[in-house]
Amino acid sequence: MSASLTQARILVIDDFQGMRTMLRDFLRAMGITRIDTAASGKEAISQLRSAHYDIVICDFNLGLGANGQQVLDEARMHDHIGVSTIWVMVTAEKTTDMVMGAAEVKPDDYLLKPINQKLLETRLEKLIVRKQALRGIEEAIRAKDFMAAIAQCDQQLKAPGVVNPQEIQRIKSELLLTVGDYDAANALFQSVLAARSVPWAKTGLGKVAFHKGQYAEARDLFQQVLAENRMFMEASDWLVKTLDAMGDAEQAQQVLLDAVKLSPNSATRQKSLGDTALKNGALDVAQAAFEKTIKISEFSPHKSPSAFTGLARVFTAMDTPEEALKVLARGKTAFRDSPEAAIQTAAAESAVYKKMGDTEKSEAAMANAEQLMAALPGKVNPEVAMEVAQNLLALGRKEQASDLMRDLVKNNHENATISHQVEALFEQADLGAEGRSLVQESQQEVVAINNQGVLLAKKGEFLEGAKLLRSAVQNLPNSEVVIMNLCGLLIGLMRKEGKTDALVHEVKGLLERVGQLNPANKKYHLYLDAINRGE
Amino acid sequence: MAQEDISFTDLIASTIHDMKNSLNVQISELEKVAAQCRERGDTQAYTDLGRVIYQSNRMNSNLIQLLSLYKLGKSIYPIDISEHAIAEVIEDGLLQSRSIMEFKGVAISVECDPGLYWYVDRDLITGVLTNALNNAYQYTADKILVAARVANGMLELRIEDNGHGYPAHMLLQEGIEAAKGINFLSGSTGLGFYFSSQVAQMHKNGTRHGTLSTENGGAFGGGCFVLRLP
Repeated sequence: MSASLTQARILVIDDFQGMRTMLRDFLRAMGITRIDTAASGKEAISQLRSAHYDIVICDFNLGLGANGQQVLDEARMHDHIGVSTIWVMVTAEKTTDMVMGAAEVKPDDYLLKPINQKLLETRLEKLIVRKQALRGIEEAIRAKDFMAAIAQCDQQLKAPGVVNPQEIQRIKSELLLTVGDYDAANALFQSVLAARSVPWAKTGLGKVAFHKGQYAEARDLFQQVLAENRMFMEASDWLVKTLDAMGDAEQAQQVLLDAVKLSPNSATRQKSLGDTALKNGALDVAQAAFEKTIKISEFSPHKSPSAFTGLARVFTAMDTPEEALKVLARGKTAFRDSPEAAIQTAAAESAVYKKMGDTEKSEAAMANAEQLMAALPGKVNPEVAMEVAQNLLALGRKEQASDLMRDLVKNNHENATISHQVEALFEQADLGAEGRSLVQESQQEVVAINNQGVLLAKKGEFLEGAKLLRSAVQNLPNSEVVIMNLCGLLIGLMRKEGKTDALVHEVKGLLERVGQLNPANKKYHLYLDAINRGE
Repeated sequence: MAQEDISFTDLIASTIHDMKNSLNVQISELEKVAAQCRERGDTQAYTDLGRVIYQSNRMNSNLIQLLSLYKLGKSIYPIDISEHAIAEVIEDGLLQSRSIMEFKGVAISVECDPGLYWYVDRDLITGVLTNALNNAYQYTADKILVAARVANGMLELRIEDNGHGYPAHMLLQEGIEAAKGINFLSGSTGLGFYFSSQVAQMHKNGTRHGTLSTENGGAFGGGCFVLRLP
């Protein structure tokens, strides 16, 4: 028994009294003295909040209320547990939801019942060793210092007697994708695949193709993975994403239907099915999917108001607007502290009243949404903006809707998924042609500004270029591409004319903004490195 | 919950979940009582309890196999074939059987290079191993060997005992599907073999898939249960 195990502080979470006592007895017999127990997710969260645990042993099935995964999600989200905490999920059977579900945070290990003391002890000892080996990498990842994390992976892969080379390769490949080094990621996946057809590596190749905009190739790769291994949900999720980007909602719906059959308890996937089916006019499918989403995410920290507004839209389309209003009222209660949710719900209400022929209430609800949105300038997420725009269109306020969507597209001009969604939104209002030209013009406008900036930089006219892009950034505070181009120009300017504190400060501020928008931005890490090294 | 929300799979899964909780506690309590018997020197009760615990373990292992087979049949088993240290997988399997081996005084030895990594679904292979160990336990005199090595590009996992060996009707030839070679009426071990051969089939690499065979002989001249995985 290692000293780190006997000195560990452990929390046991299980709704079944007999199991709790048994696990506690096992731990005591191992010489561990600091053991707490919790009988429900709620109790567990309050204990995790008030004390630091080294190890958490948690049953996946906790009866009514949150399940083990949701407890883990919440604990991680609110930082009740650190990188060094070992989380072991105990379960009677392996399920797709658990092993290959959409969970963002995975437990360190899962143990299948029956558990005996020796098994638990061996597993915990091994996890402590493994956790220590991966600690540096995990810490760097949580600090969003992906370059350092990659360097740590390389170091470990070179070390003699590395225990889990494949796991480290897999982590490294994810990191390479995150920082946008697609060629290196591609090479890594190919080298793994040369030895054996491993689903994660093949899926990785598909992701590279997706990021490079080669959607047909990505689609084929994901389909191949699923043909060989239909349980590999990650490939299914990426296939949906790819089909979305290709505008093929029909096929996306089919893939999602297959996926939820295998893994019915992923809220993200059910929600995605609801959205897609609604788009395709498959109202029954959409209704079931949104209802399931609401049900399974009730205790999840990742729940979203969009499931409620989506369901309301389904009811409206089904000619039962009273039901829609009831759903929205439920949504309001569930998200009473979120201003974004309030905007989304108000916009959705406006559409329902419109359908009921109550123009006065409809306009009042929309005015409420606009007022709330004005209080959060440039901060609403794309989903909320589209919800509002859609309902503005329904009210015949094309100008306002177009302004909102122009802004959205310009801020995300390289994001094919958002462009498709905006086009579809206009299409539904029978304004397909206008939608397409709005998207195209907005994209071209940003591309033109960027090109001009790049051209000026090439000519060495950094000051002129910076001036142009600075004003563009003012209008497009959320466009990573424009912000990064401005950074590039400013760095070029400093190389040519020397560093000034003001410029360094400006670049750092811009990089911080991109770091918030998308820490995975390819140039973000390059520029951050450059500015930190003082080049 | 509305009636149509309950799927048969969920019902089986939740019932098995519940049964396994009970079995887990039952086994653990029985082991505690058995340890007390041994301390008191009550060998008769100790050996009797050993038999009861063995049966509980078998029930548990059958429950896992049934559920896994049901899910494999419906193609909803989350098969997860990844690289594992085989010595660790063997250790996991042994840990679940270690206590019953002590009751009967069976000596288990393992021959496996700690650096041997292979592509397996850890839980399925542990299930196969537990089942093979349960069988070997029943038929062995007092020795069991678990050996793993790579031969002809396949992982070969052998569980050998020093009992009388398999009767002729239970000898399975490699390549013949266990389902065809086994008559469920002829032996109580049909489930275990069927499960193991299904698991072998699920392990594929390129055009090759895993196989299951049973032989007589081996290191101790008794029964040999052999799983080969590509």
